[in-house]
Amino acid sequence: MATKPTQDLDQKTIVIEDTESALNAPVRVKEAHPIIYPLSLPETEERKATPAVGQSASRPDARLHGLGQTKYIDDIKFPNMIYAKVLRSEKAHAKIISVDTSEAEAMPGVYATLTGKEIPTNTFGPTFQDQPVLSDTVVRHRGDGVAAVAAVSEQVAQEALKKIKVVYEDLPVLLDPEEALKDEVLIHPPKSNIYTSKVIKKGDVEKGLAESDHIFTNRYKTQFQEHVPIEPHASIALWDGNGRVTLWSSLGRITLGREDMSRTLNLPQSKIRMIGTIVGGNFGGKNEITNEPILALLSKKTGRPVKCTYTREDEFVSSTIRHPFIMDFTTGVNKEGKILARKIKMILDGGAYCSWTGTTIGKGSILAAGPYNIDNLQVESYAVYTNKTTTGAMRGFGAPQVCFAYESQMDEIAKTLGIDPLEIRLRNAFREGSLSPTSQTLHSVVVEESLLQAAEAFGWNRS
Amino acid sequence: MHMTPMTYEQPKSASEAVALMQECGNRAKVLGGGTDLIVDLKHKPGIVSVLVDITKIPELQGIEETSEGLRIGSAVTYTSIMKSPVCQKLIPVVCEASHTVGAVQTRSLGTIGGNLVTCVPSADSAPSLMVLESVVTVAGNDGERTIPIEDFFVGPRKTCLEPHEILVSILIPKKNLGKPSFFLKAGLRKGQALALVNVASSLNIVDGKVSAPRIALGAVAPTPIRVPEAESFLEGKEASDENLKKASEMAVAAAKPITDFRASLAYRNQLVKVMTYRTLKSCVDNQ
Amino acid sequence: MLVELKVNGEKRSADVPPETTLLKFLREHLDLTGAKLGCDVGDCGTCTVIVDGISVNSCLMLAAKANGSEVTTIEGLANTSELHPLQKSFEELGALQCGFCGTGMLMSAKQLLDENPDPTDFEIRDALAGNLCRCTGYTKIIEAIKDAAKNMRAA
Repeated sequence: MATKPTQDLDQKTIVIEDTESALNAPVRVKEAHPIIYPLSLPETEERKATPAVGQSASRPDARLHGLGQTKYIDDIKFPNMIYAKVLRSEKAHAKIISVDTSEAEAMPGVYATLTGKEIPTNTFGPTFQDQPVLSDTVVRHRGDGVAAVAAVSEQVAQEALKKIKVVYEDLPVLLDPEEALKDEVLIHPPKSNIYTSKVIKKGDVEKGLAESDHIFTNRYKTQFQEHVPIEPHASIALWDGNGRVTLWSSLGRITLGREDMSRTLNLPQSKIRMIGTIVGGNFGGKNEITNEPILALLSKKTGRPVKCTYTREDEFVSSTIRHPFIMDFTTGVNKEGKILARKIKMILDGGAYCSWTGTTIGKGSILAAGPYNIDNLQVESYAVYTNKTTTGAMRGFGAPQVCFAYESQMDEIAKTLGIDPLEIRLRNAFREGSLSPTSQTLHSVVVEESLLQAAEAFGWNRS
Repeated sequence: MHMTPMTYEQPKSASEAVALMQECGNRAKVLGGGTDLIVDLKHKPGIVSVLVDITKIPELQGIEETSEGLRIGSAVTYTSIMKSPVCQKLIPVVCEASHTVGAVQTRSLGTIGGNLVTCVPSADSAPSLMVLESVVTVAGNDGERTIPIEDFFVGPRKTCLEPHEILVSILIPKKNLGKPSFFLKAGLRKGQALALVNVASSLNIVDGKVSAPRIALGAVAPTPIRVPEAESFLEGKEASDENLKKASEMAVAAAKPITDFRASLAYRNQLVKVMTYRTLKSCVDNQ
Repeated sequence: MLVELKVNGEKRSADVPPETTLLKFLREHLDLTGAKLGCDVGDCGTCTVIVDGISVNSCLMLAAKANGSEVTTIEGLANTSELHPLQKSFEELGALQCGFCGTGMLMSAKQLLDENPDPTDFEIRDALAGNLCRCTGYTKIIEAIKDAAKNMRAA
């Protein structure tokens, strides 16, 4: 029923072919397709001997979830607890000339404020330490934290934020990752905007392309994606009489978090306790610290436990998101659709700070060629800073983006050569003993079995 | 997200509500179900300091058949309309339209009056009430006045209400109760979706000819609109496929949609054409 | 202002600012943290509770509006001796993963089954349209509701 408008999108009149069927198409609810799973794998002796594989097990936390008794961070409260809120920049790239918290401090109900200058070591980060806890010299994306307030209630804290006066000096805003490669506007001067890269080489890609019968060149782009965990980020900080701080946090990686806390607070790790409780969805977005050092310092200043939760808007603007990728794939194939060479260039939009880009670029680059036997391969990837929300870990670390590219191109190749899309994949797929892009020998390879079982399950007939 | 400190009033009558609104001026806003207003107040705290909750006022309640037609209080929720046997029998199209709003929770709080007063172009209740030629009753300083519903909508988020006036009830005239009418909404999802396009149609077939055809479109103009050209074209004609399609094309000509991140202008025009035809055809087939 | 209502059959009250939502009232003033804050604008459904027999987004309802009403929260679903059939099915069929959407799902499901003891798949999906889940993909939740409905009809 799909029809294509034959004129520009913004023209008023459009000519639709096949209007008849559009108007008369019955509205039918498709029957849900039966799901056949688990994937039936060979019954080895080892598998039969395990007591757990194939059995149903109930989650240990299921009972409390059902009763509504599971305590997430926002459900926890301590006596005398106060609430913090963070003032976030509306500007994408600007120098901070001054931050004046005096009017906020004078508000009734406000216990303390905090600015970037008060953070003992104001840098942290999983790949390298380029991210401030609170910006003190430059804001690099809309939503970058500038100051914080602790008050008797969230309502007062929110009002107090309005009273904090920040004077900015605008800097040029860099939004396009390909522009960022030029290094004309630097986000973290004097460093280049290209803050990490990866090159993978296998065989001789130019020779492979020269021997190919057909060469396909395509560009694929993926977009931002936010994890949207149903539970927003939340943490609580409190100190004990022996000068030790405890953080209750929705943070997933608590040992890494403790390292970052130790660094930013100039405190030995033995004085820091991180408690990660049941989390309401992480998906990679809760892998690094966010507010925790701010809350620890506010708690120290005020002598009270301090809690802060992200709003849903904060989640979209100020928490990490998935890297958009720009991927250029040049693939040489022979007449039968066998890939002889593949050359890939990728640009990762790395956002304002590095976060988990190191892992993303690594994984994305290794997986970029797809689960296919390719003797001649070259992958070059670059991650660049831009004045946008920090891109970090999200389910797949680069794998979903490259999968979109290599599978889309596979379909292009199949269509052009007139080969069945399943068949072309079977001709190229990894098998037992195949070499990965980095020349690792692969075992327990089930690509072919998976494809064939899937094809049977949804009725795909190979031509 | 926090709203700033406010006072909360629950007037006991429409005239008390009007007096309160008059007294407070732009310090106050009328609170119905809150599904729009509370969200607004959280995003823009401090715009008002008084909330006037009209949902318990007796004159704004109830669904009853009178000698003039079917009267629905403006504070009646979508869920109440959907569950009312009287509405299901006499104005099923309004029940269907109500079902497309938000989700169960939204429909339990959201009022039909609130939808009309908020007056966004994509208001889901508007097209069906328009094709049934509804009349709204408004309470002001000088008592009540009635307004045909298409005159009620003036612009995006702007009705003809004075700031102190309260929408009291909606009346569907007796002649249109039970009249074959259909409504379709196109959205990016089946639930919790803003309409890309809304269409409602209503007509009778008398002696084999179309009688009293009414077509209303939503989300394709600054307010929900009727399509008088298509209506006068169809009046007295045979309900042939050709005529219905011509009427759909006239609906496209009357629509002024925009391209935004949800859909393009061309796609919205296509939706108007197809949905107008389908609703008209459904009316013809269900006489 | 003083808000007095019945929560899970018990008379409860608290003196709160008028702009307090029912969600904040339950979580902060009555210490009933079952209903959650996921978005605060009525989109995600984690705040769903039942007020006078209908499920609502408690983040959009002022506590003052609920004055004199009967509110049921997740804490009122199970009694001292056994789980509600919905809670039992959700647990046995693995319908919840992180659990954060769970309370909202269960309250919406309870309201559905109270009105419609034998819902079709479509009716279940329609009733849950206002509850979002990021972990499960919804399949097991729908299965669990059908399972609970079956058990409740048999009882």
